[in-house]
Amino acid sequence: MTEQMPDDVLRVENIAKRFGPVTALRDVNLHLRKGEVLGLLGDNGAGKSTLIKILSGFQKQDSGEMFVHGQPYAPRSVDAARASGIETVYQDLALIDELSVYHNLFLRREKVHRPLPFLANREMKRQAREALDEIGINIPRIDVAVARLSGGQRQAIAVARTANSDADILLLDEPLAAMGAKEGSMILDLVARLKQEGRVSIIMILHNYVHVLQACDRVSMIQDGAIALDKPTAETSVEELTEIVVNEYRRARQQNAAQH
Amino acid sequence: MLSLREGSIIVVTLLVAVYFSLNTSSFLTSANFKTLLPYFAPFAIMASGVVFVMILGEIDLSIGATYLFAPFLFYKLAHAGLPLVPAVIVALIACMAVGLVNGFFTAVVGISSFVATLGMLFALEGFTLIISHGEPVETPGAQVTTSTHNVVHVINGVHVTLPTTVNHISTFARIFGAGVYSELIWALLVVAILQTVLTFTRWGLYTVAVGSNKLGAAEAGVRVRLVMMRNFVLCASTAGLVGILEAVRASSVQPDPAGANEILFEAIAAAVIGGTLMTGGSGTVVGALIGALFLGILHDGLILQGVNANYLLFYLGLAIILAMTVNVYVQRVRRGAGHD
Repeated sequence: MTEQMPDDVLRVENIAKRFGPVTALRDVNLHLRKGEVLGLLGDNGAGKSTLIKILSGFQKQDSGEMFVHGQPYAPRSVDAARASGIETVYQDLALIDELSVYHNLFLRREKVHRPLPFLANREMKRQAREALDEIGINIPRIDVAVARLSGGQRQAIAVARTANSDADILLLDEPLAAMGAKEGSMILDLVARLKQEGRVSIIMILHNYVHVLQACDRVSMIQDGAIALDKPTAETSVEELTEIVVNEYRRARQQNAAQH
Repeated sequence: MLSLREGSIIVVTLLVAVYFSLNTSSFLTSANFKTLLPYFAPFAIMASGVVFVMILGEIDLSIGATYLFAPFLFYKLAHAGLPLVPAVIVALIACMAVGLVNGFFTAVVGISSFVATLGMLFALEGFTLIISHGEPVETPGAQVTTSTHNVVHVINGVHVTLPTTVNHISTFARIFGAGVYSELIWALLVVAILQTVLTFTRWGLYTVAVGSNKLGAAEAGVRVRLVMMRNFVLCASTAGLVGILEAVRASSVQPDPAGANEILFEAIAAAVIGGTLMTGGSGTVVGALIGALFLGILHDGLILQGVNANYLLFYLGLAIILAMTVNVYVQRVRRGAGHD
């Protein structure tokens, strides 16, 4: 169904996933081009987060196939997904409250004093500081536990963690959730800067249509476990996106009414 | 790099030590220091292992049973012809297997560690009663032999020859618990190694990560099950080690589940008093050592003060609650001063 494009870094074909009686994903087809920022939209429970979890190797689909750089992609774990160059920032952040900023940035990628097993904390601190400065995140102290940071700072660190890696595909699950306008624009700036560098391609789940049109090249909307719309953001508008959602809402209500 | 969490219990322990030195003349003596050692060194070792499980937010109730099981297995192995040191090693490997089973049921099957290790507690103590037939045994390699020598003393310039009794303890026994400072050295060694592991290695980092945010750690790619299982293995091996050290020190061992369970509670108490949270995510090994020292000083000091044996546990309990209340206040004062 998805047209074959030579510069697709990621393709998803006919993905389905059930949790017991609940069908989270019915039939999802998606592609991501090199250097592109794709906005993933969809109502609560439409299956956006499930799709992200499958892409990041945290869950496995029931059926369907995925391809990264044209190669079949079936990650058995988060580590395997990383090895394929896919990094994820989860909605629930996956930050460890009790660990310092720099330990969070390096979690599962720690530097050690080889051949000894001891953590190279000074080196990690230095690199963490550089990485945060480079992407313009201002965290006064990087050796404090992340529990002490604000929501925006935590989100920024979670995004920086993926940007800090060698990944070329980033998955951001609601990076602007629970965030003030100022902190939100800090995150969108960060995404814009990553895009400008041109090294990574990004899939980003968003709720706010204005943000989508502002930050993304293309938008895909999931409805009822399948992609209902896939367009460049230049060819769509807040009105069109809203209309699709409203129509879906009307249809669901009529269906409900017919059943009762 | 030590967290300041153990700072306040250090203050409280010092206060208790000062109190006893002022009130009993025999507290601050080297003889009493030797008396004190067995009251805290074994618990320091066991509590160090418990800390690794408690940082995960889990508990291991079977350490008393493992403590009891290890010396009996050691006895069986030594009597089956295994040399002493290999017998110790095999017994400790068996304890690790016990820890692996605890970890498997907790991390893989998903039973709460409280229940899984409670089951292990009963099963392993039962198993120890079965293999020991409920009879005490003499610890292999730990027997004290005596011989009498004539020793020449010089008293006021006069040579006097007197018969003197000398105790002989094997080198094995000296190292594994019977030497005066053996358990202290083991305790300091274990605490130093495990605090290093906790603070400076991935093992420790992942332990805190899993205890603080299990789902988040898993999403970041930390192998949560592995991290959990190896900490249960570590915890069980410290319990087994202490079981063997204590059996060698006493030169015999009783199959006494009640006594073993008392050890369990003291070890967990030492960890908690030392600042390890029952809820997981935070804890220190050095704190566990201080916690054990605090319990030891309290125990020893109360005995020196001539507290009636019937009142000892009662006072001990009150003192623990009082000390922990002071501890909370000290922490609050420090936090208020912005030093947390």
